Amino acid sequence: MDDRSIAIARKLTISYITASTAILAASGLLGVILRWSQAVPQARVGDNFWYALMTAHGLGAFVGWAGFAVMGLAFWVLAGVGFPVHGFGLAMARLSWWLMVLGVLGVIVTTIFMGFGASWVFLYPLPFYASGNWGAWATGLFSFSVLLAGLAIVTWCFAILHTVTNREALHSVSESIGKRLGLSFGWGFLMPRTFATNPKPVPYPVIPLAVIGFDMIIATLPLAGLLIWQILQSMGLVGTANVLLAKNILWWFGHPVVYLLLFPAVAVYYWLIPRYAGRDLVAGNVIAIAWTVAVIANVLVWAHHLYLDYPSGTVQAQINTAMQPITFALVLPSALSLYSLAFTIYRSRFRWTPASTALFFGLVGWLLAGLSGVVNATIAFDVQVHNTLWVVGHFHHMAMLNIGLLIFGAVYALLPELSGKALYSEKLGWMHVWTTFVAGMIVFGIWLVQGLDGAPRRWAVLPSQFDTLTRISLVFVFLLAGAQALFFWNVLQTLRGKGGVATFDERGIPEPSKKSSKEWSVHAAEGALVLVVLLLAAAFAVGGYLVGREHGKGGGGAVTTTQTSTGGGGVTGKAEAGKAVFASAGCGGCHTLAAAGASGNVGPNFDTVKPAAALVLARVTNGKGAMPSFKGRLTAQQIADVAAYVSQSAGK
Amino acid sequence: MSHTAVIITVAYVIAVVIGSTISFVIFNSTRRPLDEDRSGTWSRRETTWLVIMVLALFALLMGTIFYVPYGESAGPNAQFVHVTGVQFAWAIDAPQPLVTGRPVEFIARSRDVAHGFGVYNPDDKLIFQAQVAPEHDQKIVHTFTQPGLYTVRCLEFCGAGHDKMVSSFTVRKA
Repeated sequence: MDDRSIAIARKLTISYITASTAILAASGLLGVILRWSQAVPQARVGDNFWYALMTAHGLGAFVGWAGFAVMGLAFWVLAGVGFPVHGFGLAMARLSWWLMVLGVLGVIVTTIFMGFGASWVFLYPLPFYASGNWGAWATGLFSFSVLLAGLAIVTWCFAILHTVTNREALHSVSESIGKRLGLSFGWGFLMPRTFATNPKPVPYPVIPLAVIGFDMIIATLPLAGLLIWQILQSMGLVGTANVLLAKNILWWFGHPVVYLLLFPAVAVYYWLIPRYAGRDLVAGNVIAIAWTVAVIANVLVWAHHLYLDYPSGTVQAQINTAMQPITFALVLPSALSLYSLAFTIYRSRFRWTPASTALFFGLVGWLLAGLSGVVNATIAFDVQVHNTLWVVGHFHHMAMLNIGLLIFGAVYALLPELSGKALYSEKLGWMHVWTTFVAGMIVFGIWLVQGLDGAPRRWAVLPSQFDTLTRISLVFVFLLAGAQALFFWNVLQTLRGKGGVATFDERGIPEPSKKSSKEWSVHAAEGALVLVVLLLAAAFAVGGYLVGREHGKGGGGAVTTTQTSTGGGGVTGKAEAGKAVFASAGCGGCHTLAAAGASGNVGPNFDTVKPAAALVLARVTNGKGAMPSFKGRLTAQQIADVAAYVSQSAGK
Repeated sequence: MSHTAVIITVAYVIAVVIGSTISFVIFNSTRRPLDEDRSGTWSRRETTWLVIMVLALFALLMGTIFYVPYGESAGPNAQFVHVTGVQFAWAIDAPQPLVTGRPVEFIARSRDVAHGFGVYNPDDKLIFQAQVAPEHDQKIVHTFTQPGLYTVRCLEFCGAGHDKMVSSFTVRKA
């Protein structure tokens, strides 16, 4: 590797890390607001705004931060093992950065400012059923923004594939690009005669990168098709797409994108853990088997997100059943990687720093996320936890405690060699890493518990029996967010050169800043632990106070609900206003009313029944039989309006 | 908690305790580093670990795959209920009052977007759920044992009123 190649990789990685860290700050803050709004009635944001924030938080934190960050780290890892990014690969890597930044900006604009709140999975056809909360413009622009992020992933894949098939770096004698790709998949370990026509085996960190670079192209292209369809539909150029097919396409992408985070993260673990352990990665040739399974299984597990879709007259149930064993097979790369990394650390002269501690906690987070993931992967269990807060707990373990801690660890370990500046403060690093792990375990653990208790996912306001745990969790959400403030400050001060010039030990591990030598070094871990315990105690105290206060009120939050009078007491309905209520409350889904263009046939046909206003008022307020009660959902005025509208326009 | 939730809780807690213990042992082992190089042995044993994992996953597969909710038949003695999901309400249409002990076949369809039909028992515990989408009917079979008022909550995100999409139905003692 020449100096120029190293400088190129350095610049690339810094640009990816900088942008993704800024996105973390924004999307992390949104996460705090979401939980805060659930926990404290006085802090509640409007329902659609809550879902718009949720959409921005999901895409921002998952793709814009975690995905984007590991995509950038991949270039530095590849440079570190002798694979330079150059030529076509470099052009693709630069293009990918711009596409991702523009895509994330588009998502922020369309959600927060245009009210698009169909969640990050934008389950078709929900983007076109906005109930008046966002327009076709928002749907089109949002789809376009996600398309940009998708293209960022595809161009990144091209950059990675171009880099890992570098003939010189592979020491390959073969001209065939297929053989070189096979070499990068680790097949030289399995079939040395066909693939290992080179004197040196491929470095382990290259394998997961080659695998995901290949898979994400297959996974993303159908989604791009769906997004283009949505854009065209928002412009009125095409009709409705097949709903079940659209859902399959979404998850065809939606599952592998998790591995867009995990596999590059594994490459970073493979590269950094041996450095801190002072020995090579403990791995047998068998690890290549696991990665070969991953290449195939990764794009064949999508339907485990559709376990509870088995409509009559489709083959979805059969597809779903086949997905359970394939998903189990995908456990193997994780199981073998964790084995290898654990034995690399086991009884080594491991150097414990904030960086390596974050990496170690990341491995623990990976294990926990994997265990809760096996529950999701098992159909008989998924029936219980599907779309409950259990799932939210599972993927936060994955995204924050595995990928997130890996990113923090990698930043602490690599920022000095990337910037040439020593880390500003080890002490802040210790506090950040420990607090993130402990507070994260509590916040995400509470989701698992609430989910097992049946708490529904993606509810702006949870059923009241879950309030106590939600309020306790909020305290740790603040602690978690506060810890990230330490991280931002530390990185900022480091980049400003406040820690002095970077120095490294014989393994390439950055040494603590000489400028701030007054810091604790030996007792740093213990000191951090004491601080964490004190913060936890304070957090419990505040949580106890909040819970106690609620009980003092005689139970239940003081949320005001709109009372509706049943006898038309004083509220006069306006038919003109009632037309909008009829449309937004979904009356037309079940009832026919020609004047409103509604043709539902579940409930009574208003054009034939011609109900009186008083009858509509009573039914809408209290419900009867299949008809649900709208008391509390619509105001007294709205119910009076819709009653007036229905009685006056029926049969016309 | 439902029966399934208890199984999940117990299994997950045991797995987490084992995992945490192993993590701590590895963490602690670096206090007494080993200068002899045993990585060759450990690498070879990775194959054993692979075999163990394959067997464990196969056992879990065989123990659970027969409990999929697909293709269940309600039989001739069934009670039929038509369920319609719309943004943001459930219409639950049972021709006669539901009773315990006899299978109920829910035939569910959405008028607009995807919804999730989640049924909570009188103690407010989630007992079963399935996705409800437009274009095709979703059949769900369940035999109720406990009489009382059951709550239905939407368990697939369907828009701004998703968390207001709650309904209920009553099951009487046979």
